[in-house]
Amino acid sequence: MRAGPMVRLVARSLLAPSFAVAAAILVKGYADAGDGFSAGAVAALGVMLQMLAFGRERVARDLPLHLAPRVAMCGLAIALGVLIIPVLAGGAPLEHWPPPGEKPIYIGTLELITAVVFDIGVFLLVLGACVAIIDALARARAAEEEVA
Amino acid sequence: MNLLFSVVIGALFASGVYLLLRGDLFRVVAGIVLVSNAASLTLMASGLTRGQAPILPLDEGRGLADPLVQAMTLTALVIGFAVTAVLLALSLGVYRSGRSLDLGDMTRREAEEAAEREAGELAQDVEAPEEATL
Amino acid sequence: MTFIVAPVAVLIGAGIVLALIDGTRRAAGVVAIAALTVATVMLCVLLGRVAADGPQAVVAGGWPADVGITLRVDALGAVFAATSLAIVLACAVQTVLRGVSSRITLALTVFMGAGLTGLFLTGDIFSFYVFFELAMICAYGLTAAEGTEGRFRAAFTFAVVNLVGSFLFLIAIGALYRATGTLEMLAVAERAAELNPNTALLLAVTFLVAFGVKLGLFPFHAWLPAVYLAVPAWIAAMFAGALANIGAYGLVRFGGAILPRELGVAAVAVIALGGVSIAYGAVQAMSRRATREVLAYSSIGHAGYVLVALGLGGPVGLAAAVIFSIANSLNKALLFLSAELRGPLTAGVFLVGTLSVAGVPPSAGFFGKAALFEAGVDAGSIATVVLLFVGGALSFVYLLQIYQHDRWRPREERDVPTPKEIAPRAQRTVAAVVAAVVLALGLWPQPLLAIGDQAAAELTVEAPR
Repeated sequence: MRAGPMVRLVARSLLAPSFAVAAAILVKGYADAGDGFSAGAVAALGVMLQMLAFGRERVARDLPLHLAPRVAMCGLAIALGVLIIPVLAGGAPLEHWPPPGEKPIYIGTLELITAVVFDIGVFLLVLGACVAIIDALARARAAEEEVA
Repeated sequence: MNLLFSVVIGALFASGVYLLLRGDLFRVVAGIVLVSNAASLTLMASGLTRGQAPILPLDEGRGLADPLVQAMTLTALVIGFAVTAVLLALSLGVYRSGRSLDLGDMTRREAEEAAEREAGELAQDVEAPEEATL
Repeated sequence: MTFIVAPVAVLIGAGIVLALIDGTRRAAGVVAIAALTVATVMLCVLLGRVAADGPQAVVAGGWPADVGITLRVDALGAVFAATSLAIVLACAVQTVLRGVSSRITLALTVFMGAGLTGLFLTGDIFSFYVFFELAMICAYGLTAAEGTEGRFRAAFTFAVVNLVGSFLFLIAIGALYRATGTLEMLAVAERAAELNPNTALLLAVTFLVAFGVKLGLFPFHAWLPAVYLAVPAWIAAMFAGALANIGAYGLVRFGGAILPRELGVAAVAVIALGGVSIAYGAVQAMSRRATREVLAYSSIGHAGYVLVALGLGGPVGLAAAVIFSIANSLNKALLFLSAELRGPLTAGVFLVGTLSVAGVPPSAGFFGKAALFEAGVDAGSIATVVLLFVGGALSFVYLLQIYQHDRWRPREERDVPTPKEIAPRAQRTVAAVVAAVVLALGLWPQPLLAIGDQAAAELTVEAPR
């Protein structure tokens, strides 16, 4: 499957912005609309657009697609950690630190609370899972075409 | 607004079921996708309240939009995405082994195997050593 | 409190590891078995605590109870969770000892265990749905895992039929949220009592259909024989023994606790549907010759008993539904695990399963059936008692037919070929352990009966009629 030059141009120039937008959504999520999930979806869409425009083979050379399952599972592990660590410390699952009402640590306008860590986990999980799923389907199709 | 939602949900669900009843694997998958979206939309419709976004700080005296249905719908969409991926992988598997997307062919082969089983030709439960690719 | 969260967390953690390593390696087997064992032990401890101190709850995030997601475990959830996970463990041990043939099966099994545990331990309707989909998606994957044509076909049918059921359930959740304004099971049950009867009845029917599909009730059973025939015995044992519990639990939870009034209104219809399921399953099972097919249809029949017990209603009926479901899932797991094994002990082990299903003492099945009879007599319903008796007799006949055909008849005269090679000792031991549990529960049924009564009492207190 070949995409036209226009699509390829747009796809190529959209990859970096999609990651930048994802990072913005992820960071902004605590003062405005946005969260790890939509950030992951935006970043994954950027990668998928590359695969649509250039084909899986070409993208696999530029981006580490084979790492996607590991990224997803790392994300899940981070989220799980945020869920379980407060329980081990004697609190409720998913309890965040600092608790509501207390002043978090600021880096510029970025608030540092454990909810951010959870969302980074979700971001990695969504990005990794989406890319891994599309990659698996694309590989299966490629194998299919070889057989045919 | 309620009427609009119910009409859209009804239309989505009906088209989904119509596709589910077609004799073609890909249409069945598309049908499931439509039904899943009808369900997500139902969740949205179940908490339609007008108001400000529930993010602190809040304005006094204005009602809140229900954030719960949005969270539920988001989750339902993710699950819908996951099952779509699983279904596509499964239909790809069926297609690869049978070279056909026709449900009729699928049931025919199933019936043949059942007949063979009745005739006692098929050994029971041979665990296939073949590796899954997906 | 820790024990509510920890089993799911342990299983998901192990699932993460298993998803990244090759599941056919020895280490993967060790990780999977270790995680399942730890989680099962934790659930047993939790069950003990619930039996001693009553329901336990924790709200995620330390939020107030009506804001956060409630994880809540009562006797009903605890006993279902412990039984289901123990069965998953037994099946996983059997396959690890035999040698895992696909790299993803163990990861899927462990994630399915996490989903099952989570859905039995949550007190929130929507997270129930999420865990339930987690378990189901893993089940679709397990059905297709080795990637043969028949497996893919079975998995596709399985997935499509069950997804329609799932989305109906999701729509019903939306409607229930709209009607009651909350997702917390206790609060929903409280407010559902004041609903417009038509709304509530519509909701109840949707829930019945959704869980009927999972349980494989007639007329929603079409997917069940295809799936149970296509997958290896240990996966079939897991589906029949653990996954089908979702349906039974859901019916008891949503019918018995959340919408009891509607269950009462539709009692006759529910009993009739259960009766048809029993009859259909028994007749189909008797007409089949392949062992696996007989067992699959017998699962459809036994799903009917749960529905009959629910229809009889009241604390006695609910207790019967719980006791029967637990005994039945042990029986089914035992039958599927042992039916295709050959060698010393296996015939006896299979016979234990057969007699337990038929309700011959001393076996867990006897007390399951006895509880059903008690409920029938208690409700003064002669038709139900006759139905239960005939159903039991029929299941005795078709299961002994298997026994006679597979074990007694000379090999060359058998209509369907049976396995020849003697199974490894370890595999036989696993089946024997499950059989020992069934016998032990038959000899010392007090814990099972007590937990069934406690579950029913908690449910009826939660939602006074």
